[in-house]
Amino acid sequence: MSDSPFVVIDGLHFSRGDKDIFRGVSLNIPRGKITAIMGPSGTGKTTLLKLIGGQLTPDAGRVEIDGQRVHALSRKALFRLRRRMGMLFQSGALFSDLSVFENVAFPLRVHTDLPEAMVRDLVLMKLEAVGLRGARELMPSELSGGMTRRVALARALALDPELILYDEPFVGQDPISMGVLVQLIKRVNEALGLTAVVVSHDIKETLSIADYVYVIADGQVMAHGTPATLDVDQDPRVSQFVHGEADGPVPFHYPAPDFRHDMLGAGGWR
Amino acid sequence: MIRHIAGLGRRGCELLEAMGRAGVFLAQSAVGVPSREGLYLWLRQMHFVGVLSLAIVMVSGLFIGMVLALQGYTILVDFGAEQALGQMVALSLLRELSPVVAALLFAGRAGSALTAEIGLMKATEQLSSMEMIGVDPLRRVVAPRLWAGFVALPLLTVGFSVVGIYGGYLVGVEWLGVFDGSYWGNMQSSVDFIGDVGNGMVKSLVFALVVTWIAVFQGYDLIPTSEGISRATTRTVVYSSLAVLGLDFVLTAVMFGGLS
Amino acid sequence: MKRSKMMELGVGLFMLAGILGLVFLGLRVSGLTMGPSGDTFTLEANFSNIGGLKPRAKVTMAGVNVGRVSAIELDTDWYDARVVMELDGTLEGRLSRDTTAAILTSGLLGEQYVGLSVGGDPETLADGDSIRDTQSALVLEELIQQFVSNMVSD
Repeated sequence: MSDSPFVVIDGLHFSRGDKDIFRGVSLNIPRGKITAIMGPSGTGKTTLLKLIGGQLTPDAGRVEIDGQRVHALSRKALFRLRRRMGMLFQSGALFSDLSVFENVAFPLRVHTDLPEAMVRDLVLMKLEAVGLRGARELMPSELSGGMTRRVALARALALDPELILYDEPFVGQDPISMGVLVQLIKRVNEALGLTAVVVSHDIKETLSIADYVYVIADGQVMAHGTPATLDVDQDPRVSQFVHGEADGPVPFHYPAPDFRHDMLGAGGWR
Repeated sequence: MIRHIAGLGRRGCELLEAMGRAGVFLAQSAVGVPSREGLYLWLRQMHFVGVLSLAIVMVSGLFIGMVLALQGYTILVDFGAEQALGQMVALSLLRELSPVVAALLFAGRAGSALTAEIGLMKATEQLSSMEMIGVDPLRRVVAPRLWAGFVALPLLTVGFSVVGIYGGYLVGVEWLGVFDGSYWGNMQSSVDFIGDVGNGMVKSLVFALVVTWIAVFQGYDLIPTSEGISRATTRTVVYSSLAVLGLDFVLTAVMFGGLS
Repeated sequence: MKRSKMMELGVGLFMLAGILGLVFLGLRVSGLTMGPSGDTFTLEANFSNIGGLKPRAKVTMAGVNVGRVSAIELDTDWYDARVVMELDGTLEGRLSRDTTAAILTSGLLGEQYVGLSVGGDPETLADGDSIRDTQSALVLEELIQQFVSNMVSD
C-alpha cells in the first residue's frame, strides 16, 4: 500500500442556484485512516460526499479517488468505481421493500454471482459484526433509528469496500446507540484497514475516533490537523466550533438590523 | 413590461429544460436489455399497477357501458332505431371512452402511487444509496415501472371495453328489450377491427406511455420533502389528465377526422 | 415465496384476461371470422345503385345470416356496381339460377344488407357465378322526387 492519499480533492467549486457552497476546497484523505470533515450545519458536508461519490458534478476543480478522476469517468466506469466505495446515509436509506437480510444481500446479488449459501454466510457475517444477526427477518420499518444505521453499515460493508463514507452517522441517536456506532466505526476501520470519511458536527464523538480533521466553513477549509492540534487551535472560529460555544465569530443571530432599532423603529409602533 | 417578457422567456427556458430532462430520462430508463432479474421486477410492478387497478377499471367500465345503453336507448327509440344501440355503445367505447377513461383512472390510481413511491424512495435517500452501491436506479426502479405501465394500461383498456359492452348488453337487451341479434349484429357490421379496435389500442398505448412517463418522471424529479411529494403527486394527476385529453383530440383528428 | 407465487399467478391471469378480451373484441364485437375460408363460395351481383352498402355487410336469406359482402367495385363495362359476396359453403350448388338479390335496409335508419330469395329454376349457381336478377337500394331522395313529380303531374 502506497502512502499517496486515497482521495484528493483540489480547488473544488460548487454552487447551487445563486448560492456558492464551495469556493476552492482542497483536501487529502489519507489511506487507511479515519478522516473527519466537520463544520456547522448548512456548509455542504453532505454535498461534499456526493461530489466524492460522483453523484454531483462540481463547477470547477477535481476529485480523484485512487488516481482516477471521478468526474471524467464514463457512467459505466463510475458505477464500477462505486463498487469500491460504501456510503452510510444519514437516514440509513434501507430499501423499504426488502427485509434486513435482503438489504445486506443486495450489493452481493447485483455485483457477484455467488451461490446462495455463500451469500447467506457473508450476510450473516456482516450482520454479526453489527450485532443484528437476530434481526435478519425484520423489515426496515420495524427497526429503530440506531438499528437502521447499523444495518446500513452492514450493507455498506457487504462488498468489502476500500473507502467508506459516513454521512452524519451520529445525528439523532440516543447516547447508547451513539456509543455503539462510535465503537463500530472504529472497530470496522481497524479490522478492515479501510479508508473512512466521517462527515459530522458531533464534535466529541468525531474527535474521539478521527485520525485527521478538516473543518469547513463558508465554502472553504478553515482549519485542519489532528484532533489534538485542533483542540488547542488559537483561531477563534475554530475554537468556537471545537468547544461548542453558542456565540462567537460564527454568529448566533441570523443577520438582521439592529434589535433596538427594529423594535422601536418605523416598522414597529407608530 | 420588459421584466414580464423576460419572465415569460425564463419560464419558456425552464419548461424546455424540464422537457429535455424528461426526454433524456425516458431514453436512459426505457432502453436496455432486460435481464431475468429485471423481468421479475417488471412482474412485481405489473401486479402493482395492473392487477391492483383492475377492480376500479372494471367497475367503471360496467357502469359506463350501462349508462351509455340507457342514454342511447332513450334517444334512439325516438327514431325507431334502437337496433343500432349495440353499434352506438361499441363504437363510443372502443374509439373514445375506453382509452380515455381507463387512462384517467389509471393516472389517478396507479400514476399517483408511482410518483409517491419513487418520490418517497428519493426523499429517504434510497435512490442515492442505490447509486452508491453501483446500481443505476433508472434501470432498477424506473424502467420496470415504465414498462409495466406501458403494458398494463392497454390491457386494462381492453377489459374496460369488454365489460362496458357487456354492461350495455345487460341494460339494452336484458332490461330494455332490444333484440339480442340486432344488438350484436349491428355491432359486428359497423365495428371494424383495425379501424376501431386497433385505433383504440393505439390511443391506449400512447396514453400509457405518456401517463407512466409523467408519473415516474415527476417522482424522480421532485424536491425530496413531504411537501414536494404531495405537490408532485397532484402534478402527476393534473398533467396526465390534461395530456390524455389533449392527445385524444389530436389522435382522434388524425384517425377519424379525415386528416390522413 | 408463497406471496410472490400468488403475484405471478395474478399477473398471468391479468394478461391472459387482457388477451382473451382482445379476442372477444375481434370475434364478437367486430365480427371477424376465424374459420377457414375454404368452406365459403363467392357469388357476384350487379346493382345499378347500392346506396349505402358497405363491404362486410350481411347477406341474408329469409332473414338468416348466410354470408357477407367481401368487395364492392365499379363495373366499367356497364357502369354499375359489382358486389362480391362470400356465402356459406353448404349453400353451394343449392341456389337456383334465378335467385334474386336485393339491397334492403334494417329499420328506417339501420344498416343496409343484401337479401337473397330463391326462385324455381332447377339449374343452380356455382362458385363465381353472377346473379342476374337484382333490385337496387332504396334511395330516399329518389323516392321523394318520384312522389313529388307524381303529385305535380296529377
